[in-house]
Amino acid sequence: MTNETYALDTIDNSKHHSDGIEVLFFTLGDTIYGIEIKYINEIIGIEDITVVPKIPPHVKGVINIRGKVVPVISIRRRFYMEEIPYDDRTCIIVIEFNDGNQVGIIVDRVQEVVVVKKEYISRTPDYKNVNTNRYIKNIIEINEDIKLLLDCDKLILDD
Amino acid sequence: MAVFEAGMEAMVDMYIFETTSLLEQLDQTLIKTESDKNFGEEEINEIFRVMHTIKGSSSMMGLENMARIAHIIEDMFFIIREDKPVIGSVESLYELIFTASDLMKSEIELVQEEDHVLTDFSDCCNKMSAFAEALKNGGTAAPAAEASASAEAPAPAAKAGGDGEDHLTTVRIHFEDDCKMENLRALLVVSKITEDCSHLEYIPSDIENNSDASKDIIENGFFVRFAPASDTNADNVLSIIAETANVKSYEIIDMAGESFSTSAPSSGDAVMVKVTFDDDCKMENLRALLVVNNIKDYCKELSFEPSDIESNANSASVIVENGFLVRFTSTMPEEVIKMIETTPNVKAYQFVGESVEAELEAVVPVAAAVPAVTVSAAPAVKEAPKPQPPAVKSAEPALPAESRSLDQLNNMLNTKGGAKQSLISVNLNKLDTLQDLVGEIVITEAMVTSNPDLKGLRLDNFQKAARQLRKLNSELQDTVMSIRMVPLSGAFNKMTRIVRDMKVKLGKDVDLVFEGEDTEVDKSIIDQLNDPLMHMVRNCMDHGIESSSEERVLAGKNPKGKLTLSAYNASGEVIIVVADDGGGINPQKVLEKAERAGILNRPPDEYTEKEVFNMIMLPGFSTNEEVTEFSGRGVGMDVVRKNIEKIGGTVSVDSRLGAGSSFTIKIPLSLSIVDGMEVSVGDSIFTIPINSIRESFKVKANQLVKDTSGREMIMIRGECFPLIRLYELYDLNPNTQDLYEGIVILVEAERRCACIFADELIGEQQVVVKPFSPLLNNYNIKANGMAGCSILGDGSITIILDVNNIITDF
Repeated sequence: MTNETYALDTIDNSKHHSDGIEVLFFTLGDTIYGIEIKYINEIIGIEDITVVPKIPPHVKGVINIRGKVVPVISIRRRFYMEEIPYDDRTCIIVIEFNDGNQVGIIVDRVQEVVVVKKEYISRTPDYKNVNTNRYIKNIIEINEDIKLLLDCDKLILDD
Repeated sequence: MAVFEAGMEAMVDMYIFETTSLLEQLDQTLIKTESDKNFGEEEINEIFRVMHTIKGSSSMMGLENMARIAHIIEDMFFIIREDKPVIGSVESLYELIFTASDLMKSEIELVQEEDHVLTDFSDCCNKMSAFAEALKNGGTAAPAAEASASAEAPAPAAKAGGDGEDHLTTVRIHFEDDCKMENLRALLVVSKITEDCSHLEYIPSDIENNSDASKDIIENGFFVRFAPASDTNADNVLSIIAETANVKSYEIIDMAGESFSTSAPSSGDAVMVKVTFDDDCKMENLRALLVVNNIKDYCKELSFEPSDIESNANSASVIVENGFLVRFTSTMPEEVIKMIETTPNVKAYQFVGESVEAELEAVVPVAAAVPAVTVSAAPAVKEAPKPQPPAVKSAEPALPAESRSLDQLNNMLNTKGGAKQSLISVNLNKLDTLQDLVGEIVITEAMVTSNPDLKGLRLDNFQKAARQLRKLNSELQDTVMSIRMVPLSGAFNKMTRIVRDMKVKLGKDVDLVFEGEDTEVDKSIIDQLNDPLMHMVRNCMDHGIESSSEERVLAGKNPKGKLTLSAYNASGEVIIVVADDGGGINPQKVLEKAERAGILNRPPDEYTEKEVFNMIMLPGFSTNEEVTEFSGRGVGMDVVRKNIEKIGGTVSVDSRLGAGSSFTIKIPLSLSIVDGMEVSVGDSIFTIPINSIRESFKVKANQLVKDTSGREMIMIRGECFPLIRLYELYDLNPNTQDLYEGIVILVEAERRCACIFADELIGEQQVVVKPFSPLLNNYNIKANGMAGCSILGDGSITIILDVNNIITDF
């Protein structure tokens, strides 16, 4: 990814949250994905992951976050993309669900948090044979840039 | 909690805890008296106290049904205590009280639910009231010769009282609560008995025209003194009184020659007590205030010296020097005394006479002419030797005026110097948090002391301090663990009730014996133990013990069956054995049954006896042909095994045909901290619980055996064990695949052994078990031999192995 600084003049990143949602954007390869900020607990750098045997390959193992043992998921693996070696830009986004359970997801790099107005958000096309579509909640189109908003519940819990 | 008023919620936990333990205490007392076949004074008082407390706290919580049922039991025992009636059917008495206690227990469980509607106890209440009534009447029929003639049984009592002085009988009459216009009802009594009396006076005397008299009557009762007319006797008059509408009860008062008017009830039974507190208990004035608060609801009049305890801190020193003087009048002085006695920090108390306040040496109560004693107790008082000449015989003798004999008063004085209250109840959640914290501290301590930044530095003072910290931490950990430890006796005692019920229902005579019931187990484990224990005890009672004593005699055994519950500690585990000396399990029968149920997967003769016995814990298995109320549905033992396994324990069955069978439960002392051996496989670290490790060793070439299908076995001292290579099992990249280079650990679970191969041993460490995240549990990792994980000192994560599942899977 080269265009780190996205000129998003359409985004009002000040006060008016009522007509939009806050989204954290991150990249996987060339694609930009977003996760609603309300799910996100924190973002940490990649650290040693303890392997847990006999679990599906997209669950990489567990990490220790301040005394809590948190499972970590590789989105690349989840989306059947090729896994790349971790570098210093690799991040773990820690998601917390309503019941207090935390899950970390490994992403290539994190971009920024922006407020996306509702008019830029559209529904996903209904292609049943596109596998990754299951995990995508909405499509965000800003200045002809397409970003995909992920459905956290499905991403983590769906098998 | 819809049942409770706002503001009461905070009390609910306390109430439930207190009432449950009281009910358990009640059961204990009942079972004890039932086996002794005798209600002792102690026990009756005990039951009385229990019911009284439940009644009080229940009505405070607004649980009227509970309060009512407790009240009726209290009444019933009041009759038993006061009248000592010959109880016609002891069995039905026990049955009634046990039923009531069960009802209350289930109600206690229910009140915690939302929208709970108070259960209607009236059925049970009515039965008990009827029984109490029968008791009363039974008391009348009882031989009157005994000194303990019933106060409420008119015939003998009236004689005892009436024969005293000029055939004058004095009676205190109580009317029903809330019957209204007590003065007119009293007048009715008077007019009814006038004809039959040659002499009649009463207090209050202005009942006809003074409506305020009813207040007096409510408070003190209505006093009537009469001499029966020549053509009748006191008994008849008394029965007329008893039959008058709205008369609740009456008691005959022995006037002992005192003039009628001096026995004005409000001052007549004033009691003066000097209370002393524990030495150095500090703030004696506030402790005195506590005493006052405790008893004030039970006293009609109450005064104390020094009187400014609330506001004047200096009164503490006065109390230390002179003691705290309380003077009260009450309808139940002995209860009040009891309350004083049980108030925290009260060391002792003495009865004192008012006029001799200065000379308070008399430790024994001055038992002079008791002005008002119910007839039942009067003989006892008269017979008892007076230990000291009456110190007071003034117009206002200060004495406990109730039916309590001297001996008892002495006992009350001599015992109970005042044990300090050293027990508190703590919310389990707080203890859980505390334990979690300690776990974190242990981890953090290791993080600090083995911090990589310190490597290579020479830090003598630091190491010294670190050692001290480690020592303190391990002490802290032990203490926190010990706080959570509860003796098994509570769980065992619950079984006495079950055995008792089944004895009655099944008609079997069985002794229940406890051994090592003071063995301690973590509270969270105890809670899980009740159900399995109950199932096993029921099984032993129902299936184990022979159904008739003839059968037992024929087999050359004691006609009385024996059920033993024993517990002991062994290598970090607690072992509980439930054993009976009944007929034992017939392995042949079990096998046949299992074959029919299609449980077998090998030819029947290939099963060892032990395996056969353990089949009875498989789902859907019951050897009893008939399903009874207690067992036989084939779910019991399966549930037992599941429950025990849930808390990390194991169950096994052993039996000898004709000699009995036993169930052995092995459970860990605590769930959350495990002593583990850490082993490494490649980059991963696994923790194997120490209590499942038998030994670890390096394999020599001659120990390796391969079976025909190429499965590796290790030969140890003539026994072969399968070899499990962890890296193969878990698809890991080990540092070594060479069996002779790595380490082999011999593990055991449920008497099955296997050898686990790992790269190397790292060391022994206590770890705090953390459950896996629910996300991972979805992938069934428990079945793959992983019990949980833990964080090591350096912050890395180790996976705790469940040896049992690994072996079973292999």
